[in-house]
Amino acid sequence: MFQPRPMTHLLIAASKAQMASVVTELYRHQIFHITDFVDQGKEGYEGVKIGVPQEHAGDLSNDLLKIRSLESVFQTNPSTQSNVQIRPAETIRAAIDSELPKIDEEVSSLTVKRSNAETRIRECQQRINELKPFALVPLELDLYRGYGNLTVYAGYIEHDIEISFPHEKHYQAGKDGNFIVVFVESKNSAEVEKQLADAGFQTVTLPGESGTVQAAVDKYTVEKNEATKVYEDCNVKIVELKAKYADLLAACDEVLSCDVERAEAPLRFATTDEAFVIDGWIPADEVEKVVAALSQATGERVYVVVDSSEVEDTAIPVEYNNPSYAKPAELFMDLYSRPKYKELDPTIILAIMFPLLFGFIVGDLGYGLLYLLLALVLRKTLLKMGEMGVKAFFVIIGAAISTSIFGLLYSEFFGVSLPWHSIIFSRHLPIGAGMEHAMPQVIELLIISIMLGVIYISVGRFFGMINHYRMDHPGSHRTKAILSQFGWNLILWGILVLVLSVVDLNEYCQFPFALPTFVGIPTIAGIIGAVMIIVGCVFVAIENPLDLMELPTNTLSHMLSFCRLAAVGLSSVAIAMVVNFLAFDLFITPAMINLDVVGVLLIIVGVIILILGHALNVALGILGGAIHPIRLHYVEFFTKFYQGGGIIYKPFGLKRKFSEE
Amino acid sequence: MAIESLTVEAAQALASGYTAIGAGLAVGLTGIGTGLGEMSIGAAAVGATAEDRGMFGLALVFTVLPETIVIFGLVVALLLLFV
Repeated sequence: MFQPRPMTHLLIAASKAQMASVVTELYRHQIFHITDFVDQGKEGYEGVKIGVPQEHAGDLSNDLLKIRSLESVFQTNPSTQSNVQIRPAETIRAAIDSELPKIDEEVSSLTVKRSNAETRIRECQQRINELKPFALVPLELDLYRGYGNLTVYAGYIEHDIEISFPHEKHYQAGKDGNFIVVFVESKNSAEVEKQLADAGFQTVTLPGESGTVQAAVDKYTVEKNEATKVYEDCNVKIVELKAKYADLLAACDEVLSCDVERAEAPLRFATTDEAFVIDGWIPADEVEKVVAALSQATGERVYVVVDSSEVEDTAIPVEYNNPSYAKPAELFMDLYSRPKYKELDPTIILAIMFPLLFGFIVGDLGYGLLYLLLALVLRKTLLKMGEMGVKAFFVIIGAAISTSIFGLLYSEFFGVSLPWHSIIFSRHLPIGAGMEHAMPQVIELLIISIMLGVIYISVGRFFGMINHYRMDHPGSHRTKAILSQFGWNLILWGILVLVLSVVDLNEYCQFPFALPTFVGIPTIAGIIGAVMIIVGCVFVAIENPLDLMELPTNTLSHMLSFCRLAAVGLSSVAIAMVVNFLAFDLFITPAMINLDVVGVLLIIVGVIILILGHALNVALGILGGAIHPIRLHYVEFFTKFYQGGGIIYKPFGLKRKFSEE
Repeated sequence: MAIESLTVEAAQALASGYTAIGAGLAVGLTGIGTGLGEMSIGAAAVGATAEDRGMFGLALVFTVLPETIVIFGLVVALLLLFV
């Protein structure tokens, strides 16, 4: 909680003879994060080079390439493959050797045949299209060629023209263009060409076929149909093969991916002629297990060092260490940036507050249940998307439940009052029949929002102090940075004390508890507030006087920004109530009094307005309810303490779905 | 003068009318301001995200920054209408 999983820096050294067993062992455990060795020619690293892949890596990659190309022919993807059957890796490797060439040959002969057929279809279609205009000319196709002193022109032209030389002309006006065929003596061809060009002539290729145009078109149509049949046959066969081999291919893909990754692992190691060193990180609680396993796998011919020297924060991989209920919120953290190793990880705050704020904003039982339904409908799709989808699913579920609960508290169901009065704050607006005297508790909602803002900003500054304490190097700079964070908090609270010394908020709103006020002691409170602000400004200025320029945005604007929680929520209620007003008060209720044909039509219009309006509001609710809380965290909260930019922990190894070693 | 001849009810009606116009202006004008602000940020954010999907989170944050303006407008409108 608030901390990533503790990591230990390990250096594993052994002779090259042990490389395969070390790699296999590390791969099996899937917990070792390898730091890639970069050959920078540094002093003390003479003779150390990046390793070379194992000998069979090339063959494996070729096989993998074949499998991927088969998968692309079949249009399958192992990550979306559903009916998972786990097979031993050894049988799959045997299948790769025995069956893969067979499948490959079968599929490639089919694809070659298919692509030939496809080409033939295209060619025939093209010929048919090219012959089409000639069908209108009453000439056989042989007559277009084979002349000694005649030139033939055929093509499209803008308008009919008169040719000033002896000629034979066939002109046909048409929708797709005006088609013209001209026979002239070759000696006049240059002049005729010019005349034709002036009329926008575009030549087409003269046909090479014989007989009538129709006969040629028929011939090509028959050919095209035959090729189409072959094409479809190939497709059917490919689908059959897909059904037969998709599972096997997915498993082969996985096994080969694992094998290739292992075979190419030395590219990430530092090697000498005889030995190699693997540099990496491992969760601290797994060290003993892995070291013991390595010793056993190599017969104690491996040397493992735990390096406890100080390392740059950005070099340590970061794995979240959150309780299971906070895991979904890691989605929002990764969207922003993974925390650095020594930084406070605020995931848990997001995990608790995001659903609460979403509910606070949307807060409607009807919408909450709709979101729940939406989550259940999307369940399969989301769960298929892997870890991220699962997190998204639970984020939606959390938000939906919170929205429903807030709906019960606000007494709202699609903008309509539930049978009881709102339990916390009323958000009912004076819109529609029977609501004339509704009075939303705007001030209360705004004050609650701003109070939340004050808490958020103060906690953010406090976290900032902790982060500076832990991440900065000890010295005056660190002290100044911490003091500056404290100063900002003093300014914020000083402003609050000043405001409360002149305004008694209890006059404007009604809370079950009395809000603090200093109007009874305005002078003392005023002086205390002013002193807090001045001292705060001094603390901030000690670190950097220019920071004081941010005073309006960093305190007031960020605090007031939390008003959006109340404002966006009220606007969502307003839309819901307006939709209900339009649908019921203007269409449905009046139509119900005198039910006739027009009345039924009016009711239908009313229902359409109702559905479309609430659908719009549900969509806006997702946008407003989700983006605003996230933004409040990112902009108003994180900017106070959070940098991010940590390396994501990627353990060496692949999660297997279809195979087992 | 027209103002002198107003009854109390008419004056109240006039006042509430002006309040409604004020609330409308508060939301409408700030909405335009937000739109203008988000226009160029949004375009740049989409470009950055297309280049590198990891930018999405930050791009989203930058895009919604000017939204504060219209929220303040909305708050002012709510205060005008309901307080």
